[in-house]
Amino acid sequence: MIELKQLSKRYQMGSVTVTALHEISLEIGEGEFVVVLGPSGSGKSTLLNMISALDTPTAGQVIIRGHDITRANRQQKFSFRRDTISFIFQTFNLFPSLTALENVQFAVDMKGNGARPDSAMQVLQAVGLGERANHFPHELSGGEQQRVAIARALATGNPILLADEPTGELDFQTGVQILQLLESQAHSGKTVLVVTHNREISRIADRVIELSSGQIVSDGAPQEGKAPIAELHW
Amino acid sequence: MNLGFWLRWSWRDLKARWLQVVAIALIIALGTGVFAGLGGQETWRVESLDQSYERLNHYDLQVDFADGTYVDEDTLSAALSAIEGLNDAEPRLVAATLVDASTDKEDILVSGRVVGVDVTEGGPYVDEIHIEAGDGRSFTSEDAGQRVVVVEKKFADYYDLQPGDSIRVSGDVSLDYVGTGTFAEYFQIIPEDGTFSGEASLAILFMPLDTLQDLTGHTGLVNDVVITVQDGASRAAVATAVEETLAATFPEVGFEVTMPEDDPVHHILYSDARNDQDTWNLIGALFLIGASFGAFNLAGRMVESQRRQIGIGMALGVPRGWLAFRPLLVGAQIAILGTIMGLVIGWGLSLLFANLFKTLLPLPYWGTSLYLPGYIRAALLGLALPLVATMIPVWRAVRVQPIDAIKSGHLVAKGGGLSWLLNYLPIPGRSFTQMPFRNILRSPWRTLLTVLGIAMAILLMTAFIGFMDSFIATLDQGEEAYLYQGRDRLLVQLDTFYPQGSERVTDIVQMTDQSGERMFGETEPALVLGGKLSQGTESIDTLLELHDMQNPIWVPRLIDGELRGDMPGIVISEKAAEDLGVKVGDSITLEHPLREGEMAFRLVETEIPLVGIHDNPIRGLSYMDMAGAAAMGLGDMTNMVVVTPDNGSDATSIKRALLVQPGVASVQAIGEFADALEEALEIFVAILAIIQGIVLLMAFLIAFNSTSINVDERSREFATMFAFGLPLRTVTRMQVVENLLIGILGTALGVVLGWLALNYLLVQRVEDQLEDFKFIITLSPDTLAISVALGVLVVALTPLLSIRKMSRMDIPSTLRVME
Repeated sequence: MIELKQLSKRYQMGSVTVTALHEISLEIGEGEFVVVLGPSGSGKSTLLNMISALDTPTAGQVIIRGHDITRANRQQKFSFRRDTISFIFQTFNLFPSLTALENVQFAVDMKGNGARPDSAMQVLQAVGLGERANHFPHELSGGEQQRVAIARALATGNPILLADEPTGELDFQTGVQILQLLESQAHSGKTVLVVTHNREISRIADRVIELSSGQIVSDGAPQEGKAPIAELHW
Repeated sequence: MNLGFWLRWSWRDLKARWLQVVAIALIIALGTGVFAGLGGQETWRVESLDQSYERLNHYDLQVDFADGTYVDEDTLSAALSAIEGLNDAEPRLVAATLVDASTDKEDILVSGRVVGVDVTEGGPYVDEIHIEAGDGRSFTSEDAGQRVVVVEKKFADYYDLQPGDSIRVSGDVSLDYVGTGTFAEYFQIIPEDGTFSGEASLAILFMPLDTLQDLTGHTGLVNDVVITVQDGASRAAVATAVEETLAATFPEVGFEVTMPEDDPVHHILYSDARNDQDTWNLIGALFLIGASFGAFNLAGRMVESQRRQIGIGMALGVPRGWLAFRPLLVGAQIAILGTIMGLVIGWGLSLLFANLFKTLLPLPYWGTSLYLPGYIRAALLGLALPLVATMIPVWRAVRVQPIDAIKSGHLVAKGGGLSWLLNYLPIPGRSFTQMPFRNILRSPWRTLLTVLGIAMAILLMTAFIGFMDSFIATLDQGEEAYLYQGRDRLLVQLDTFYPQGSERVTDIVQMTDQSGERMFGETEPALVLGGKLSQGTESIDTLLELHDMQNPIWVPRLIDGELRGDMPGIVISEKAAEDLGVKVGDSITLEHPLREGEMAFRLVETEIPLVGIHDNPIRGLSYMDMAGAAAMGLGDMTNMVVVTPDNGSDATSIKRALLVQPGVASVQAIGEFADALEEALEIFVAILAIIQGIVLLMAFLIAFNSTSINVDERSREFATMFAFGLPLRTVTRMQVVENLLIGILGTALGVVLGWLALNYLLVQRVEDQLEDFKFIITLSPDTLAISVALGVLVVALTPLLSIRKMSRMDIPSTLRVME
């Protein structure tokens, strides 16, 4: 599903060259629930940006479902994002002038795939916000806003779900609810990639890729062993 | 923390938003520039007029004798010389003529007026002739009795005539054109019907008095005198003495003693300067208001974007004064930049207007157009405006609780504003379609300020072009009133009154061309007289025409009443009826000349029934049936023959033929009305072009800034859309739709306010300067189209300028931005 080959990303900061990613190679299969773990500055968000074609690598290839997106033009990258991936952001990034339902509907409209008019509502109900459908983002709590963001991502029906620190702005209890939602998506066959600096969260993943200074330092099952969400503490 | 630190920080703020800052400064500059540049126009123009009249030793009193009246020059001079307080009196002879100034390039055959002035002692000394270097010479005492002529400058400039060119007048008299000059009474050329500038169709010539007397057969006679009073003497007292003296000396003659203020040219020039200033003040104020909305909107949004930082400062314990200092510094820098640019724009604008007026009004003296108090006032406003605009949001920002200011997404989390309204106004289409509507409703205050800014620009455009539309519509109606019947007729004015069956008249009526064919199809002897209409305390000047209403080439078209040859009565204009407060069936008082002798007329008042209202918007035009001529002592007399061309003759060939015909004073094709119209519109078109350019720039800047700030404020929203794969064109389309809606709102409001301003402008002008017209207040479809193009299209398309910025957006970084 996702294949990275010798992927590097370097930034020029004045006279200094900063290496965000250094020759990363990995493969992620369909339906995998992967956590990318690492401290701030380890390159995990850059990795996410490369996979989502939001950023261009300095070297290497990003191959998604057999297509090398590093060679795609801008139009193709827009299409790729629209049809293949869905985003969940740490700061939610909901559209403030749209209600919760309309934010979700936005994703449905964007796809333009003839989804039923009530599909947005169904997705919103699935994340437990059917009752809050007509509220604006500012009328929702942080957890509710993030659930709307997840609903929006799910409404696209895209096979890859990318989440950048999805619990970063949330309290523990709310964070757990969000993780449950993400886990359920992996179980339903989507490839879920979660970026976090929280080692505890990584325990729910099938696979944990740990980054440090732009390089993979470990790749495998959680070191402390996989744990059900109910046993997490942070 | 020192001042340098805050200055550095504010400089960084400016640098980060330099384009928006320059745009705000430019908006302020346009507002203050227009205000400064137009603010001192009255002072400058009035001073120039005062100086010009003084330099040409303009008369204090003028004696205007009744039409057709001539008095003996020596008797007149002797009578006036005995009046105490009178300084100088110069008798003149004013005669109508036909002027042939044709050149190799074009035929120039126009009506003219010759002013005979006393040059025997090197004069004239009252109302001197001003001749600029390179324009030939004025008269000398040696010119007395010579056929020399000085041509009025506006006419000469219009046809590019130079001293030495050929000038011929009625009687086929060739004159030696020695100079091109300006004369105080003809700073502007106003035809007898009092309509508008007419240098294209009316030539004013100055000639030695005795020469003109000789040419017109009025040896020793004059019909006009200009007088100056001694320093310290009472003008009113001298005027009374002149009236008494003339009444005693010429008891059978009608006359009127007038002052410079009664001269239409003098009146129009001064009232123009005053009324124009009112208009400029209104335009300047509207520009400033527009700039204020723009500045409030934009400065407010800049402060809003710093609000979280202000909150962090509050949390760190920085005093509020220091927190407010940073955005206020930005405001101050915008103010200084805007004011400096504004003063430069104002300076340029005042020079532009000065040059325009100097071209259109060749006064002998023009003062400086830079009016310092206006600039100081504009500079103070320019400085205050952005500071106040910044102060209000700063005051709001530092008053909130630190925790509220710090809250992430404080900009976006403020809710939906009025977007809940869309629940009641469901808009079909996808969420993309709805989003522009929601964005507009989400920030109603912000939307309102943007809409008002655009509306102000459209208001100016609509009002100004609407003024022009109304002017044109009014003149079009006048033209239509003249031309609806007998479109090709010519008015042949005679040099005095002749019996209809006299040789002079029959020679004209039966005139033939070189092949012996008659030149005229129809002919109609008529009369044209100056007079005065009055009712109660109201009175207005009128130009009265008497036609044979039963057998006419043309009769006035009536909107009320009935023309009947068997029923004596007068037909007046709708405006005259309104101003006099009369209606058909009422009686009004007509002051008119009554013939007492061959060349003597007395002014008498006659009560006369009002039988009709005509459709010409020019107030002073009145008509009667020729049957009424007997009551004026003019039965079977004529001083104007109306003719229509026949057998291949046209206006030019007729004029050329009539030039050699004795007794012909002037010939005017009725279609020449349009030439004068074009001339009158010249100044409006020139000013309009300047205002249009400024308005266009201001509307564009407001729209551009608004869009540019929108892009900044919504960058995270746009980044999210891009992250979800929404194409740039869709995002741009959404912005275009949003701007389109704002443009429509702004334009609609601007057009409505423009209509109100137009009414105000015209009503204000009609009360004073344009009292001689019945104005049709209108907005043409073209004006509306221009307003829509400006307000809707320009504003809607402005987001296209942000495409590059959005296409180069760093999406990952923007997604993480916390404002």
